[in-house]
Amino acid sequence: MTTDRSVPLVTLDTVSYIYPRAEKPALHDITLDIGRGEFLGLIGPTGAGKTTLCLSLSGIVPQFYGGRFFGRITVAGLDTLEHPVSRLARHVGAVFEDPETQITATSVENEIAFALENLNVPREEMLVRIPRALEAARLEGTAKKHPRELSGGQKQRLAIAAALAVQPDLLVLDEPTSQLDPMGAQEVFATVRELNKTLGITVVMASHAAEELAEYADRLALLVDGALVAVGAPDDLYAQVDYLERCHVRPPQVAQTFARMRQAGVLVPAIPVRLAEGRTALKATAHSYAVQAPSIPPVTTVKRDPPLLSARNLTHVYGNGTVALRDISLDVQAGEYLLIIGQNGAGKSTLAKHFLRLLLPTSGAVFVDNTDTRDLTTSALAKRIGYVAQNPDSQIFNATVEAEVAFALKNLNYDAADIRTRVEESLTALGLWERRAAHPLALPKGDRARVVIAAMLAMRPDVVIFDEPTTGQDYRGARAILDISQQLHTAGKTVVVITHHLYLMPDYAERVVVMGQGALLLDAPIREAYHAVDVLAATHIVPPQAVLLARALAEEYHADFPLLTPEEVAACFEKDVYHGDTEDTEIF
Amino acid sequence: MSALTLHTVERDSFFTWLDFRSKLALMGAITLVAFVWESPVLGGLLALALALMCLAVGVKFSYIRTVVILLLPFAAFMILMQGFLGADLVRARLDREALTPMFTFPASWPLIGGGMMTWEGVLYALNVVFKTLTMILVLPLGLFTTDVNAMVIGMVKAHIPYKIAFIFSSTLRFFPLLFEEVQTIIEAQRLRGLAFETMGALKRLRVYAKIAVPLILGALVKSQMLDIVLQSKAFTGSPQRTYLHETRLCAADYAVMVGAVLFIITAAVAYFGWGVGKFAGLRIW
Repeated sequence: MTTDRSVPLVTLDTVSYIYPRAEKPALHDITLDIGRGEFLGLIGPTGAGKTTLCLSLSGIVPQFYGGRFFGRITVAGLDTLEHPVSRLARHVGAVFEDPETQITATSVENEIAFALENLNVPREEMLVRIPRALEAARLEGTAKKHPRELSGGQKQRLAIAAALAVQPDLLVLDEPTSQLDPMGAQEVFATVRELNKTLGITVVMASHAAEELAEYADRLALLVDGALVAVGAPDDLYAQVDYLERCHVRPPQVAQTFARMRQAGVLVPAIPVRLAEGRTALKATAHSYAVQAPSIPPVTTVKRDPPLLSARNLTHVYGNGTVALRDISLDVQAGEYLLIIGQNGAGKSTLAKHFLRLLLPTSGAVFVDNTDTRDLTTSALAKRIGYVAQNPDSQIFNATVEAEVAFALKNLNYDAADIRTRVEESLTALGLWERRAAHPLALPKGDRARVVIAAMLAMRPDVVIFDEPTTGQDYRGARAILDISQQLHTAGKTVVVITHHLYLMPDYAERVVVMGQGALLLDAPIREAYHAVDVLAATHIVPPQAVLLARALAEEYHADFPLLTPEEVAACFEKDVYHGDTEDTEIF
Repeated sequence: MSALTLHTVERDSFFTWLDFRSKLALMGAITLVAFVWESPVLGGLLALALALMCLAVGVKFSYIRTVVILLLPFAAFMILMQGFLGADLVRARLDREALTPMFTFPASWPLIGGGMMTWEGVLYALNVVFKTLTMILVLPLGLFTTDVNAMVIGMVKAHIPYKIAFIFSSTLRFFPLLFEEVQTIIEAQRLRGLAFETMGALKRLRVYAKIAVPLILGALVKSQMLDIVLQSKAFTGSPQRTYLHETRLCAADYAVMVGAVLFIITAAVAYFGWGVGKFAGLRIW
């Protein structure tokens, strides 16, 4: 395969697109060439047009959706308007966000074969290509397995293998890692990069995973409101921290750290965007400044007896024999903000569902305010414990936002006046009062999540459990949801959050429970938990880059730097105590 | 997940190794004979034999039990309808006027006073119930023992248009997703204080009815996503395609198909020749 990047494989020439019945264009006047063998990262906030751009490369936009399309896109010389999607599929492989919905076959090999069968590839050729695709996606030995036997990361790699078997020139991936744990995400990025390097496949990947894109992408394209506002190498684009933050795009934490240092007056020659460079630069900078480990106030937890939520020797075995929880003992005190982390399948959601009696212990017991959940009903528990599941759409079943929020109150037999008051309070608190007459599913994803939170808050629960609330949200959307969780915590509620996005949590959580393969691996204050890298590694979790930079400082100074955020790392440098040579430094 | 979702059996058996075409032939023969037979005795025996076959090939007992439980209200309805009100139909089947009373309500009772339940009506109702049970149980026998992909290939080889075979297989794939969606929505409603566990059957039915709208909306979103995924995999519905798996009929397949044909012929000869399986042929009253 030719990998001459000066030869564009994909050309977008003044492309604009408006979805049917939409008022604003989803893509606006985009001109871009993508070279053969290039790895292009698409970044931008939710609603920027990343998915639309991905779909337009395979011709699905506008051929499937309709709408108004302007300009021209060619892929491998084929105009995406003039050639049917099935013809373009020979050249463009697509991988979508949700690993569950894009796998249609009942075995791994059938999944890979499906596109080949559609393209009339002879059986003998399929028998050659399938093992190759499996090997490239590191899925050897899984050919006969049912896709549901695979992990989330493996499923996404299966989707990649299926796309790869077609031997496309271009692989388009739309948020392929957003639903995966850090290890699954890492597997997907590493596989894609390997394919890009060794087979020369051109890659376009839309993602919010800034740290990984900085590591793997050759070039980034920044979309805002459907317009292409910047294109450049990760070193250039991610280094513009202020600009990206104004665009509601999260830069890698390494870049954030050095940008904060520079803002604080520390001389920073260049903003690194990758961890390895960041570590080196941090050590170099540390030699020129007095570095002071901040004093961290000790964490005090007031223990109350009995705890509000309690699991005692809890084991849960699913009907198919999977041991999801193994002898878990855990107490949650009233007013705590608890973070639960762990790999996909670690048992986090299974644990949370026990507190609502959505699941019953196979052995052991679960107590809510000292009452065994076996003696309670889910509906009774729901009055005290609000549970916000990962996908808001599966929790919406009313025709208006107002009816959605009132649904629980009617079930709980509140009188009409009380329902009106609570609905108004709840919707106003979540900024949705003006949208009360809208159909919930007609709202943007972030707003849909807030509708579900509003519906749950209207019950005024004592405990709120957020299960993967930030999945599929951009940085702004994720922070908005977590800010709500913080307001609830400040108001005295007990908050439990389950998430893979560790970098979001230092501003919120106090205590962290680390789970792995159904067991409780660690229960500690957040600073201790985030720095327990060996325990985190055991459940395939990588700490945020700021933590790893803090550990680099700790190695350098043989001192304890229990830092969690870029701001905290930057604050260690005393700008007034500079030992370096100013002539050697250049401030950008 | 509900016991009624479509799934594959967990162990291999003689039946799982058969080609889907021979299974189709057997399913067709059983369905045809069940449809023709009006004898509740033979119908019941056929349903029982089929249930035993299902268990033998690995269909779970809980599944069969659920099917039977779900059929009970239908069975009760049929017995009441045919027992009390189906006299004309039964007379036409028997070609005689006199029916055997099982019991009669006292004439003084309002509305139903004087109503008579007949043995013939009840037996005719049982015939309908066993017919229905047979036609339902024949599905897991064929569908649960066959991989969806093998079904498509088998149907295409049986000269069923590929588009129809694909729609059929997609529907089968979609079924479990719909059941999951129903469970998810009910779970979400329980988390909003809906006391589903303490509800009576009627209230539950009302809850299920209200789920229809979000369920359909969710299904539309999923089907749209599936459409995009299929298109991106070069799917056009064209029969001009290749297949990874080959399927060949073996001796066992031919034996099953010949057996299916013989079953139909034997049943037809016995039915038309000696009245075996006819409702009028029953001599138990």
